[in-house]
Amino acid sequence: MLPFLLTSGITTGALYAMVAIGLVLVYRSTGHINFSHGELFMLGGFFAYTFHVTVGLNYVVAMLLAVIGSFFVGVASDRIVYRPLIKAPGLSMVLATVGFSFLMKGIGRFFWGGKGEYLSIKPIVDPAPLWIAGIPILPQQLIVLAGALACMIMFTIFFRSTLAGKMMQATAENPRAAYLVGIKVEQVYTYTWGAGAAVAGAAAVLMAPLTLLSPDVGFTLLLKAFAATILGGLGSMVGAVVGGFIVGITEALAGGYIATSLQEVSSFIIIMVVLVFRPSGLFGVYGIRRA
Amino acid sequence: MLDVRNLNVWYGVTEVVRDVSFSVPTGSIVALMGGNGAGKTTILNTLSGLLKPRGGELALDGESIKDRHPHDIVVRGLVQVPQGRHVWPGMTVRDNLDLGAVTRKDKDGIRADIEEAFALFPILAERRDQRASSLSGGEQQMLAICRALMAKPRMLLMDEPSAGLSPRIVQEMVAAIRRLHERGLTILLVEQNVGVAGALADTAYVLANGEIAFSTDGAELATNPDVLRSYLGR
Ligand SMILES: Nc1ncnc2c1ncn2[C@@H]1O[C@H](COP(=O)(O)OP(=O)(O)O)[C@@H](O)[C@H]1O
Ligand SMILES: [Mg+2]
Repeated sequence: MLPFLLTSGITTGALYAMVAIGLVLVYRSTGHINFSHGELFMLGGFFAYTFHVTVGLNYVVAMLLAVIGSFFVGVASDRIVYRPLIKAPGLSMVLATVGFSFLMKGIGRFFWGGKGEYLSIKPIVDPAPLWIAGIPILPQQLIVLAGALACMIMFTIFFRSTLAGKMMQATAENPRAAYLVGIKVEQVYTYTWGAGAAVAGAAAVLMAPLTLLSPDVGFTLLLKAFAATILGGLGSMVGAVVGGFIVGITEALAGGYIATSLQEVSSFIIIMVVLVFRPSGLFGVYGIRRA
Repeated sequence: MLDVRNLNVWYGVTEVVRDVSFSVPTGSIVALMGGNGAGKTTILNTLSGLLKPRGGELALDGESIKDRHPHDIVVRGLVQVPQGRHVWPGMTVRDNLDLGAVTRKDKDGIRADIEEAFALFPILAERRDQRASSLSGGEQQMLAICRALMAKPRMLLMDEPSAGLSPRIVQEMVAAIRRLHERGLTILLVEQNVGVAGALADTAYVLANGEIAFSTDGAELATNPDVLRSYLGR
């Protein structure tokens, strides 16, 4: 049983890692946790479904459109939620992003919900498992894995080596100093929300063939990704990915060996344990902002 | 020339700067003094576009800079070195300097200016790959100054550059500010240290409760610092 649990744990882990990357991206630039991030994933998945299944576009084209669509939803969330609250206390932002998540969930239900069942996308690659060292692995699982790693590497390089990445980090560390050197802080925020949403969309697109889409996937997924970010150290890109895999694998093992019910709560347990014993997480550099 | 006319700034329902007028002639060093809470930082932040004034006029070389985005103000050559330094702690000295030049495109000029910054404060060159959080208070102040210089300002707004530094570092800072002035920078210097202001300023304004209470020229400042001390309440 172990090999099966591990492969499924690694795959969901890769998904959590990608969703967590988006959370970290927004956190690093704006200093806020985007509680509507899970819903961005959900919408990205439905965009892919609509373009691919409903409209009948080629999978790759549909994917790209879904990612672009997600980017614009992210930009819209900046304009609707963030920009008006740019000077408000942190708690207002928390409430606003939670509120925005309900709005998006409502939109998801309106257009794609109520069909009595979950929607699914057929795998694009051959669904037959590959047998690697006696373990069955779905090709789509490998694609998700590769996608997560590629995103992580891209964003790490982006923050370390590009001026745009450094502008985002500077804005996160000290927005006032960012204004004072002439960084267009509002623009940085807009691109960040867009990019964070685009990664969520990309994760959804990669993952859609493996899971079922529903307007309500957002919150559960947010929790898992949040556990991954807390575990990895809020603000660390590498930490988010490692945390994602740990949460995914822990969940699979706990569900398989102990009790299925543990699968759902294991991310809560991880969040609590980390906050009590190592609040800065595994790779934490920023620590947790205490409001 | 920076011209501040009848400036009024409010935080919510509180008037913090009341009808303040002064000017900083091109090529001069003007000190803006006053105790804690007098409104000095508020004035600088209004000049930098971080705060919107309720009334008054702000002009740089005859052109209004009121209600401009902070980016436009930096581009026009008015750059602030903030109180408490505000360097980016998680980034290296080099990154802090590079970011100081985000409004510029001339790569060669930027490279030359980084070398010039390192010449002004050689210790920063040694620390170029260290995180700013590992620097001492004095080094962070030097970095904050150099970061502002990277924008190629015509005029610097310096908010208490000597605060919290040891007397030896304060002397170094005074010498550095003097060198910047000799290189042609106009400086509006917010200070609580009468010694520093007296050593540098051509003119000083004393702010009390958001209003200009007193002004004097540098000669008087140097010879008769007690007048100022009495206004500053120490
Ligand atoms: N963000 C703010 N909100 C409300 N009041 C403020 C704020 N910042 C400063 N003040 C108040 O405005 C007054 C002037 O502050 P400040 O300009 O920082 O003074 P200074 O720099 O001279 O010490 C003080 O009474 C201070 O308490
Ligand atoms: Mg002050």
